[in-house]
Amino acid sequence: MDEWKPNPAAKAHKKRSWYLAWKYKLMNQRALRKLCQTGAVLFLLVTVIVNIKLILDTRRAAYEEEEESAQDYDDEMLNVEVPRHPVSNKKVLDVEVYSSRSKVYVAVDGTTVLEDEAREQGRGIHVIVLNQATGHVMAKRVFDTYSPHEDEAMVLFLNMVARGRILIFTIKDEGSFHLKDTAKNVLKSLGSQVAPFLSWRDMWTFAGKKGGEVYGEKHAKSPALSTWGDPVLLKTEVHLTSVEDAECHWPDTELNRRRKRFCSKVEGYGSVCSCKDPTPIEFNPDPLKDNKVFDVPVAVIAGNRPNYLYRMLRSLLSAQGVNPQMITVFIDGYYEEPMDVVELFGLSGIQHTPISIKNARVSQHYKASLTATFNLFPDAKFAVVLEEDLDISVDFFSFLSQSIHLLEEDDSLYCISAWNDQGYEHTAEDPSLLYRVETMPGLGWVLRKSLYKDELEPKWPTPEKLWDWDMWMRMPEQRKGRECIIPDISRSYHFGIVGLNMNGYFHEAYFKKHKFNTVPNVQLKNVESLRKDAYETEIHRLLGEAEVLDHSKNPCEDSFVPDTEGKVYVMFIRMEQEADFTTWTQLAKCLHIWDLDVRGNHKGLWRLFRKKNHFLVVGVPASPYSSKKPSSVTPIYMEPPAKEEGAAAVPAVAAAEQT
Amino acid sequence: MQKINKNVVLALLSLTSLVFLLFQLYYYKFYLSQKNGSVFSKVRGIQSGQDSTRWHVVRKFLGLISSHNIPVYLIDPLILGLVDKDIEQIRSSPDGPTPDCKYFCAPRDFTTFALVDKTWKHEVSLFRAAEKMGFQWLKIINKDPRLDGMDDLSGVEIPLHYIFKLASHAIHLVVFYERSGNYLWHGPLRLKQHMDRKFVPFRKLHFGRYPGAYEKPELLLVSIDDLKVQIPKNPSSFLEEMSHSRFLECRYREARAFFQLYPDDASLDAVEFRKKAKSLLHLAALTLNSLGVKFWLSSGTCLGWYRQCNVIPYSKDVDLGVFIRDYKADIIPAFQKAGLPLKHKFGKVEDSLELSFQGDEDVKLDIFFFYEEDDHIWNGGTQAKSGKKFKYLFPKFTLCWTEFIGLKVHVPCETLQYIEANYGPDWKVPLKTWDWKSSPSNVQYNGVWPVNEWDDVIQIY
Repeated sequence: MDEWKPNPAAKAHKKRSWYLAWKYKLMNQRALRKLCQTGAVLFLLVTVIVNIKLILDTRRAAYEEEEESAQDYDDEMLNVEVPRHPVSNKKVLDVEVYSSRSKVYVAVDGTTVLEDEAREQGRGIHVIVLNQATGHVMAKRVFDTYSPHEDEAMVLFLNMVARGRILIFTIKDEGSFHLKDTAKNVLKSLGSQVAPFLSWRDMWTFAGKKGGEVYGEKHAKSPALSTWGDPVLLKTEVHLTSVEDAECHWPDTELNRRRKRFCSKVEGYGSVCSCKDPTPIEFNPDPLKDNKVFDVPVAVIAGNRPNYLYRMLRSLLSAQGVNPQMITVFIDGYYEEPMDVVELFGLSGIQHTPISIKNARVSQHYKASLTATFNLFPDAKFAVVLEEDLDISVDFFSFLSQSIHLLEEDDSLYCISAWNDQGYEHTAEDPSLLYRVETMPGLGWVLRKSLYKDELEPKWPTPEKLWDWDMWMRMPEQRKGRECIIPDISRSYHFGIVGLNMNGYFHEAYFKKHKFNTVPNVQLKNVESLRKDAYETEIHRLLGEAEVLDHSKNPCEDSFVPDTEGKVYVMFIRMEQEADFTTWTQLAKCLHIWDLDVRGNHKGLWRLFRKKNHFLVVGVPASPYSSKKPSSVTPIYMEPPAKEEGAAAVPAVAAAEQT
Repeated sequence: MQKINKNVVLALLSLTSLVFLLFQLYYYKFYLSQKNGSVFSKVRGIQSGQDSTRWHVVRKFLGLISSHNIPVYLIDPLILGLVDKDIEQIRSSPDGPTPDCKYFCAPRDFTTFALVDKTWKHEVSLFRAAEKMGFQWLKIINKDPRLDGMDDLSGVEIPLHYIFKLASHAIHLVVFYERSGNYLWHGPLRLKQHMDRKFVPFRKLHFGRYPGAYEKPELLLVSIDDLKVQIPKNPSSFLEEMSHSRFLECRYREARAFFQLYPDDASLDAVEFRKKAKSLLHLAALTLNSLGVKFWLSSGTCLGWYRQCNVIPYSKDVDLGVFIRDYKADIIPAFQKAGLPLKHKFGKVEDSLELSFQGDEDVKLDIFFFYEEDDHIWNGGTQAKSGKKFKYLFPKFTLCWTEFIGLKVHVPCETLQYIEANYGPDWKVPLKTWDWKSSPSNVQYNGVWPVNEWDDVIQIY
């Protein structure tokens, strides 16, 4: 339509007044028609524009929405929530318990919760604790009551289990040999008819509620000393109670919510879960004045020893000056219970997929834990490293706060450790005294970040090397002649008796009698004299005032040291060169201190206490302090016992010990 | 007849189009108001000049936060932009009353605050209190990147973002974490499946599309619109930092896979070289940062980061890239002062500039200068003995932050293209022999320096 040229026409009309235009249009049909046409065209145009805009807008919006749902703000991981079925709506659990010479198992509602058919393992009484409301397994233990004292542990454990819990017992192989009357009475009080009469190689299963009904019991007597009783299988039903009945009614606080979560999952932690007057899980120890280690991260290295971890964290959180926010617990493996313990105390925990085996596994776990600690706290210059089987002294942080500046300023220091290898009940005396030693004791120590990042981390032993991290750290290539600061009286106590290189005998011999500081706020004396050169002055002063002991006497005898208090004595032993520890080892042995390898020495000098007197031992002529020996004195030489084969093997075990 | 018909047709057409138009307008309006109420609240806001809802929500939020002793600071780019204009006045009269609500009343869907993680204790009581005040809140958690590089640690997931919503306004609280390299990091905002996608218009949030890296800001307590709030001391530099804060995490998983295939060199030499390379890179970063010269990891160092999250132990040098527009004459003296003498200088500022500094023992620091063209970026190489010139072409790229051996450094955001340009599609396979003149897949012969210029463009010390 060529004649539709609306714009010039519209312009032309605009110039006239509306009225005139109207008049004109009435008169002029053609003009009216033109106007109508123009209007219509304008209308159409506007419609088209609005249409196009609308289409564009909806398209854009649709595109955006599509994009939005496509990704961008969506998590790429599909965390599909698995709908949690309540354990069962039904109120009855079917329980099967099997006891035999070589195999035990427990099945709850068709799910095997315990199965043990390993040879030469799992002998004794297996105990399982179930939650009476949910049927969840809360604890699983085995007590080898064929061996002594295990029954006592079982009694302890059973006493800690809350009333109302479901207890299941089954014997594998033999469980009666060292099952004493006390333990039998406890089992009887739980409702067992058979327990008091359990005897050699009997098979036995029992299920009951603590302080309540008995669900079933089966027993097979051993016909003769050389044979076992027939396998027994107990099948029974357990009626579940309501959740409310199974829980305590603590006041609803944040702390109690944590407690509740913990107590409904695990058993065997005693009063922390008791309904009346439960033991606190928050300790609020006094803060330290001028605490220099408040911002130092604390790495707790843990395995699967949740009871140990519980004890350890309690003592750590009770130490004055502790800062719970800086604590991270590193758990070697995906174990639930240690994590439950960590959460009970409101701390943060990190689990570590195990790499490698045995010592190397521990070693890799240490590396990952240390690296993670410095990643999580990038500002930190130090990290405190603790293990799950240590008690922490109440003045642990006070001790570190007073000494940590030395580690920062003195390059000749390797670490500060809370542990004195030679600090036994009879050889440590002064909580305010510190030493410099050439060995690295571990067991609660402070690591400098620069040491770790620049030296240790890049060449940390790789998984295929089955090395102990602590032995590796003690090697001259790593230590490079640097020393550690230790207290005379240890600020940590090693209570673990189950461990990679640990057993009850070993613990009794070397760790039980270790002295542990319990005095709060000890003011350390003369910290500045621990610096490299000042320490030499200090030693020379000490040796200067020390009284030389009578070298004709036997140093192992008590009478070797006079019955005085607070004096300083010195003795000289033979030490041909730096690595000659023959006499020292014999002396350590007869003094009943650490003798499995050499610990606590500083330039051929050992410092300890005997009968409350400071007692110095100098190795002559290797030690630079040999010059203090009066010429009349002949250094004592003690010969190792002739039989050496057995002894040679021991240090290897011991060496690996302190992990 | 024909004319009448035409008129009728026209009238009919007009009528339908009118109806159509009205319908469309109505629908459009309806659609918009459904899609996003704010368009109209904006209109309303403009009409009334301000929107007190936002101010009230922010005030409530700040009250909540201060009663729990949580030190948040304002990082909302729109408000900081406004504040920046009046910064002198605000600084000089920190308590001065402002006549009208200038900053917190512009109607927006949300206001953004930041929180440095280590400054609070994750108390649950905060959320209880927030609920009591009427806030709805949403927590976005994800993996802890500080443990990401660690082989097999699984920590607890950490909170990255919080959103507190009251009435029509939301507070977006971004959680910043300190990381090795002395910087602050915030995570991306990713919704898990069950989360309420409509909780707030997530797409409009200023933080969260990508993770970001920032310097630790100095803060200033100011009183604006009668609200006491901490802001970055220098809002304009914060805004500038924000505009290119995108952070790339190293590809730890791929790096692990790489080491499965090609076990890491754990020899003493490798350990030593890495240690030297690390300290050289730290020194170089310190020097260039203090000059304000922006640089990125280039060549082998970039490949090491991308492929194995570490220095390639046999690479013998540290390579950095710098845009020629950032070149400063002070670079050479600054490095010399830092104990890194110039080893050689090839090319000139106008063409193919390349500097080499001698680090400790045999580790060398190479700085390549990059020239931007319309559709590509290139840097040059020079063969000392023949005066031959080479050109290495790269597709255009922008710069992102990353963390590399304890440093916050730049890398090309489009790292893969960058590396493929340089090393070809087989960059995943380690090569110990490498000829810089022929091995790179993006090398081009670029003529020869005129002999009379040699003294200038080939300087070897």
